[in-house]
Amino acid sequence: MATRIQFENSCDIGVFSKLTNAYCLVAIGGSENFYSTFEAELADAIPVVKTSIGGTRIIGRLCIGNKNGLLLPHTTTDQELQHLRNSLPDQVVVQRIEERLSALGNCIACNDYVALTHTDLDKETEEMIADVLGVEVFRQTIAGNTLVGSFCAFSNKGGLVHPHTSIEDLDELSTLLQVPLVAGTVNRGSEVIAAGLTVNDWTAFCGSDTTATELSVIESVFKLREAQPTAIVDEMRKSLIDSYV
Amino acid sequence: MVQYNFKKITVVPTRDDFIDIILSRTQRQTPTVVHKGYAISRIRQFYMRKVKYTQQNFHEKLSTIIEEFPRLDDIHPFYGDLLHVLYNKDHYKLALGQINTARNLIGKISKDYVKLLKYGDSLYRCKSLKVAALGRMCTVIKRVGPSLAYLEQIRQHMARLPSIDPNTRTILICGYPNVGKSSFINKITRADVDVQPYAFTTKSLFVGHTDYKYLRYQVIDTPGILDRPFEDRNIIEMCSITALAHLRAAVLFFLDISGSCGYSIAQQAALFHSIKSLFMNKPLIIVCNKTDLQPLDGISEEDMKLVMEMKSEAMKTVIGQGGDSTNDEEVLLTMSTLTEDGVIAVKNVACERLLNQRVELKMKSKKISDCLNRFHVAMPKPRDQKERPPCIPQAVLEAKAKKEVDQEKRKLERDLENENGGAGVYSASLRKHYVLANDEWKEDIMPEILDGHNVYDFVDPDILERLEELEQEEGLRQDQDEGEDVDMDGTELTPEEQEALAEIRKKKSLLIQQHRIKKSTAESRPTVPRKFDKDKKFTSMRMGRQLSSLGLDPTLAINRARSQSRGRKRERSLDRGNNDGGDAMDLDAEQPNKKLRTLSRSRSRSRSRPPGELVPGEGFKDSAQKVKALKMAKKSVKKRNKDARRGEADRVIPTLKPKHLFSGKRPIGKTSRR
Repeated sequence: MATRIQFENSCDIGVFSKLTNAYCLVAIGGSENFYSTFEAELADAIPVVKTSIGGTRIIGRLCIGNKNGLLLPHTTTDQELQHLRNSLPDQVVVQRIEERLSALGNCIACNDYVALTHTDLDKETEEMIADVLGVEVFRQTIAGNTLVGSFCAFSNKGGLVHPHTSIEDLDELSTLLQVPLVAGTVNRGSEVIAAGLTVNDWTAFCGSDTTATELSVIESVFKLREAQPTAIVDEMRKSLIDSYV
Repeated sequence: MVQYNFKKITVVPTRDDFIDIILSRTQRQTPTVVHKGYAISRIRQFYMRKVKYTQQNFHEKLSTIIEEFPRLDDIHPFYGDLLHVLYNKDHYKLALGQINTARNLIGKISKDYVKLLKYGDSLYRCKSLKVAALGRMCTVIKRVGPSLAYLEQIRQHMARLPSIDPNTRTILICGYPNVGKSSFINKITRADVDVQPYAFTTKSLFVGHTDYKYLRYQVIDTPGILDRPFEDRNIIEMCSITALAHLRAAVLFFLDISGSCGYSIAQQAALFHSIKSLFMNKPLIIVCNKTDLQPLDGISEEDMKLVMEMKSEAMKTVIGQGGDSTNDEEVLLTMSTLTEDGVIAVKNVACERLLNQRVELKMKSKKISDCLNRFHVAMPKPRDQKERPPCIPQAVLEAKAKKEVDQEKRKLERDLENENGGAGVYSASLRKHYVLANDEWKEDIMPEILDGHNVYDFVDPDILERLEELEQEEGLRQDQDEGEDVDMDGTELTPEEQEALAEIRKKKSLLIQQHRIKKSTAESRPTVPRKFDKDKKFTSMRMGRQLSSLGLDPTLAINRARSQSRGRKRERSLDRGNNDGGDAMDLDAEQPNKKLRTLSRSRSRSRSRPPGELVPGEGFKDSAQKVKALKMAKKSVKKRNKDARRGEADRVIPTLKPKHLFSGKRPIGKTSRR
């Protein structure tokens, strides 16, 4: 099920939240609306935690995590680290890393098995990712962009990448990640996928500007609600052609 | 993409309003005071400015009108023709042309009069020229009054036109009057078009929107068309014709097979054939409506023949498109808007055929190659044997299964917020959902963390156990000791030892006493100068004595004490302090004479100089002059200082003798000077 939400009139909800299979981090907003949307959807299954990172609300762009662990940038304060440690279950390893590229969420994209990283990331950081998150790490670009974390979003079931990714790149990435991939947009044509969409294995949240076509692509490729990725080339093909071209 | 929105055109004022607006603006926004005594160039300048300003305003206003009204040749042909049908292109162009001419005329008038004003030789003449110029400008506007009124009417009408996007997916409904076109659009969209049981209920185009396969379709309801020659058609019918001619849409031709609309099937078929040229290259569907009154099978032989004829015509358009001609179910459909029988089927077929046609067209375009990657689903090729299953918690799966059965609503943070004063008032605790071993710990106050540590990092977790161990050990020892209890009262000591002990104790108590005395007064006691220290108890001499009694050489200690007892003067350099060969130290060491020492002390304070004393370099002749200068300086700041001390509560008389009350009031003499 994909849900359309806004964070204080901004559709870039992936900036203000981080969703994984074991927990969900949400920025502290002026009201509880944003938090409660996540709470209603997830709180029965996984902890939904309100937090800031380094005193900012752009937590989705600063941290990276999956069901095994959570990596935080060096800007994270000790208090925030403590708060996260207290709020997350013990199976999740919380680790702060000294990495020059401190917007980890922009530089790294991962699911529970594979991670794509920015090409300039430190060797130590790469090892840390492999250890803490328990993933294979690949240095990659997406459609020529080094910020892999911004321009793609994927779960263990599927993935959405930058709309300008070529078919060859799509196939290569798909083989690396071992999930079906589709090039697409969110938020009425925004190519910053991870800013408009945050997804795990059973649910997705996207910005409220997302059109019905985009939403149905998302639901198909992430296999939410019994849809299959092949639907994009079968039933939806005509609608997609008519709306894109 | 061009958006067709005629709602934003600014209001066109009537001619009188127009003139009022412009003239009052000139009056308000240019200078109004001029005197005949001014230099003539200034007077000319004054009136030229008025004329130019008025012309500028006219120009601006008229230009906005000309620019904001759409130019029929530049907009989409659908809108061009629709506006032509509704307002008559010639009339429209003429009106705008007149406005344009007026603009040019006003420009020329202004130019002429500014030129004339250059030769104005008095205020009166300049003024007359200005009046003439403005008057002529207003006359020009008065002459285009009817055009302004016409444009305003058109503006109002255009603002109410439905916003039809000529390029998007469109379904067009047409047919004879009263065949159920509006009922159908009401069924599939939320347009809410008026439906009445008489012909020409719908007098203009209406737009609704419907969804099919994630896409939005624009549905246009047209007024009914009668079968008559093109020239005889009225404006209402022409709206339909325009829409049919220019929009690339799926066309639904409505057929009332029951004949309850007042027209026979033969008449309707005749209309179909007369306008079939408009259906070329468009997905056409013939919809037989009102099947609740008359099923399609029940109509007479000839009528059936006519319907089939229309169907074969419609099939031709399908073939013309290169579509699959075999599927004839998609060309002739039956429905009843009353029973809603087949309505959705008609909509779906129309949408599907339109979509197919559009996709076919787009597949041929160049742009498709840029988007090909977006219709591609990259499926992973296996690269190792590793299994990568999704990780969905059991709770989610259970909730999904349970969803159909029952779903009690969780109390959300949002509900709590609303109950407790709303956003901005309610502040939720961040610690509410901590995962801790004991729930009572959640609200515990955490010692601040600094450099990654807090005080708990330095606390031994099993400190309590260790303490217990220690206490046990201590207990054991005590038990042992109790057996061999040692008496320290001195009963077992030798007499010499007892004596020494007594002396120690005495000395100790004495020291304690002395310390207490000292401590009790130390707080408030000022340091006593040496001269009041009558008993001179703590002298260096005494220290020397004591040290020598101990068998130590006192000189070094004494020297050090002396050097340190000196008051803080200048920073003393280290080597000088340590250097025993230094002069100052030698003096102290060799002459312990008190008198000499006091003499060597520095003078504490200089004597003050009297204020009048002459100091060379100040520039005064003698001290008398200096005193005088000082006095003057003091006097000059006296008032200022007084003012500075004054508060707002002080009484003040602003002017002691206001001039207007005292001037010119003489009992005799001239009183005119006031």
